[in-house]
Amino acid sequence: MSDEVITKLAEYIAAEILKQPGRVLDPDESLLTSGLIDSFHLVDLALFVEDNFGVHLDDAELNASVFDSLNQLADLIRSRQ
Amino acid sequence: MTLTSILILAGLAAGLGILARGRWRLPLLLSVSALTVYALQPALPIRFLDFWLPTVTLGLVVLGWALTAPPEQRAWRANWPAAAILAGVVLLLGSSRLLGLDLPAVGRPPRPDSLLLFAAAVAGLAFFFSRSVRRSRLWLALGVIFLLTLFVFLKYPPLTAALSAWLRLWNGQSPALASALDIRWLGFSYLAFRLLHTFRDRQSGRLPPVSLAEYAVYAVFFPALTAGPIDRLERFVADLHRPRPLDSQGWLEAGKRLTLGLFKKFVLADTLALIALGPVNALQVHSPGWTWVLLYAYSLQLYFDFAGYTDMAIGLGRLMGIQLPENFNAPYLKPNLTQFWNNWHMTLTQWIRAYVFNPLTRALRASNRSIPAAIIILAGQLSTMLLIGLWHGITWNFALWGLWHALGLFVHNRWSEWTRPRLAALSGVRRRLLDLGGVVLTFHYVTLGWVWFALPDPLTSWQVFLKLMGAG
Amino acid sequence: MDRPPVIRPLAVLWKGLLLFLILNLLTAAFPLDGLGRVSLYNRVFPGRERLPFGENPAQSYNLSLFDLDAMFASHVIAGGEKPAEEYRIILIGDSSVWGTLLRPEETLAGRLNAAHLTLCGREARVYNLGYPSLSLTKDLLLLDYAMRYDPDLVLWLTTLEAFPLDVQLTAPIVAHNAPRAQALIARYRLPFDPADPALARSTFWNRTLVGQRRALADLLRLQMYGVLWAATGIDQAYPPDYPALQVDLEADLSFHGLQPPALRETDLAFEVLDAGFRAAGETPVLLVNEPMFLSRGENSDLRYNFFYPRWAYDDYRRLLGERAERSGWNYLDLWNLLPDSVHYTNSAIHLTPQAEAVLAERLVEAILQSPCP
Repeated sequence: MSDEVITKLAEYIAAEILKQPGRVLDPDESLLTSGLIDSFHLVDLALFVEDNFGVHLDDAELNASVFDSLNQLADLIRSRQ
Repeated sequence: MTLTSILILAGLAAGLGILARGRWRLPLLLSVSALTVYALQPALPIRFLDFWLPTVTLGLVVLGWALTAPPEQRAWRANWPAAAILAGVVLLLGSSRLLGLDLPAVGRPPRPDSLLLFAAAVAGLAFFFSRSVRRSRLWLALGVIFLLTLFVFLKYPPLTAALSAWLRLWNGQSPALASALDIRWLGFSYLAFRLLHTFRDRQSGRLPPVSLAEYAVYAVFFPALTAGPIDRLERFVADLHRPRPLDSQGWLEAGKRLTLGLFKKFVLADTLALIALGPVNALQVHSPGWTWVLLYAYSLQLYFDFAGYTDMAIGLGRLMGIQLPENFNAPYLKPNLTQFWNNWHMTLTQWIRAYVFNPLTRALRASNRSIPAAIIILAGQLSTMLLIGLWHGITWNFALWGLWHALGLFVHNRWSEWTRPRLAALSGVRRRLLDLGGVVLTFHYVTLGWVWFALPDPLTSWQVFLKLMGAG
Repeated sequence: MDRPPVIRPLAVLWKGLLLFLILNLLTAAFPLDGLGRVSLYNRVFPGRERLPFGENPAQSYNLSLFDLDAMFASHVIAGGEKPAEEYRIILIGDSSVWGTLLRPEETLAGRLNAAHLTLCGREARVYNLGYPSLSLTKDLLLLDYAMRYDPDLVLWLTTLEAFPLDVQLTAPIVAHNAPRAQALIARYRLPFDPADPALARSTFWNRTLVGQRRALADLLRLQMYGVLWAATGIDQAYPPDYPALQVDLEADLSFHGLQPPALRETDLAFEVLDAGFRAAGETPVLLVNEPMFLSRGENSDLRYNFFYPRWAYDDYRRLLGERAERSGWNYLDLWNLLPDSVHYTNSAIHLTPQAEAVLAERLVEAILQSPCP
């Protein structure tokens, strides 16, 4: 289940945000503090999560102290599903 | 803050860390924090104002809590000790002269009856808010508007001067001497943003229920009173409930941060301050090389000053078991401007992102997908950076500084969109060289931006730019 | 597996305190003399045109400190070996030589340098070693130090205020250089008590790092202000307006506790003047009684100006003239060269830039008559 969430998120990020569809993201790789995803794409990511998993991420939650890696984001999504 | 006042605060924090445990913890933290609001307020030329401003600070905190607390948190039984402490601090300090005490660090209090009247007004309003459950959304919205208006009055020099003239007149002092510097309200910028955060989160239903004591300690926690960090209520209150133990590790962490902070502020920043670019020397300097030296000094001084205060705040907080959030993470060593802003005054940028950038971007993104991404990004950056600029003061220079960074961020965003897939394969030495180039470029872009920030008017800033380029 | 070492905060604290204590004992046992000679001036920054002095560092980019090594090391005179083609003239004196309210090029030294004199086949270069306090012993202290820079001519400007016995050791720069002052007292048998309470005593405590913190901070600040000196060329605060020269005077006849009718030679520190000539050795010294404002305002029948009652000043001029004659000093009395208030800024001895040019012109004549080695 969580693998499915992570795979879906990773594909979206690689293709739509990083524009490198072939890129493989490590589930523990830092996304925000490393600068891989900027604040604009973070909002897009939140909209993607809302559309695909039915989970609302609040504006105030879009920062590295709430989630920084795919694993942490997947945990957050699962905890709300 | 002087070295002495910081050492006193450190002693207090250590004392509270050791002694304030269990049920005494919260009341003691609240008492010391409330007293510190008065002790750190600088003296002001308008009569009684340096006593009124701390008093209004505490009043705003009480009203902020009354507006945001859910009905189940409003029980008088649970909150009367905190209310008593706050009222007690105000009335005790207010009657100090009558008792024959001349408190050294506290401003001259007005007549006790006016303080009693104020306390009664705050209590009445708080009672009204707590009864008016059905209208709470309206009152919250008005609270946001009120704080923003107050903020504008304090940050826009002509309005501040007008306010000063009015206060002087009301006091029977001559309004001819009124100046924007008359109303320096210690910690207001941070307080306002903390309260706004709780208002907005209450509106969106995310605010955790907290008691008056918890809310007040969060709003005026003395280590973070003068220079932040801003923090978030839910995070802060979690630490209040489960303080980190003051064991060996705690002492070491706190000691290290305090020492580091003292060194950054009182050795590095204060030494650099001697030669930092300023409105006077900017016009006197006569060669491009030395203008750069003064500008570098300003850039580093600003960082060490602010980061030093943050270190001290975190160290003091740690003594009392509270882990305040980081505000700086080596911002001058970041390879691009976006990363710089992820690591400079982080609690302010996170605040603005949470309450301005994200909602705006989300709304633009969700409502009409036909708006090009670049336009949305530009709008988001402009509004965010202009606000961060104006938070420091509503002047042309701060606005231009915000604009400078908004454009820098936008250009970097477009550049990285374009280069990201192309440079993805880069690795090893080449990647590191590219990053190093980025660090140097970013540092200089930020440092040049300070030319707007450091000087009082755009013309002087422009002259300094010319000097830097050898055209002055 | 290795566990990370346990660090105990109390151990950190007492070890830190112990190290701090040892460091303090070390600096007390082996004083940091000579640290002042380490300087960025004349290397990274241009040397200063006059000795460091400033009551308002944030505006003047200059500060008052008492470390002679550091003061001279920041001065352009310490900028390297004296070139063979240079004829080196040093100016000794008070604030009127240092140049209160004057830019470096407007001071007497600046005006003399602008004259581009050639002496004994060499180009004259004038160094401003004036320092703003009135005491012949202060002049002697600086002259004695400056002799290591091998001057060819000493120009020593002075006025009666530098002569009374009570001001000799109280000038801050003298008081804070007690060992040097005591050495001068001994070497020249000056009529002062080496144990005079005005001379700051060196104690164990003020030799420690903590005791010296102010002096050490001053050294650092002097270096930091070098940046602004280099960047702006400013070395004193120039207020847009200042209290004007006092023209109307008090009807007061006393002078440093002395009363009319007459000054005696022993009331004045002639021995210090004599010591200065001896300190200069073979180097010729031109002694100048500096110009001052001669008031025509209220009570000007009793006094010349804010500083001097007529009787005292007249006696001083007579005594100095006689002593110079007797000792064979090369002496020039310019007391009334510039009598009018237009020549002065905020005091009866602080000349305007234009008046400094007049004084320089008059001194050039005298300098050109100096003997060649």
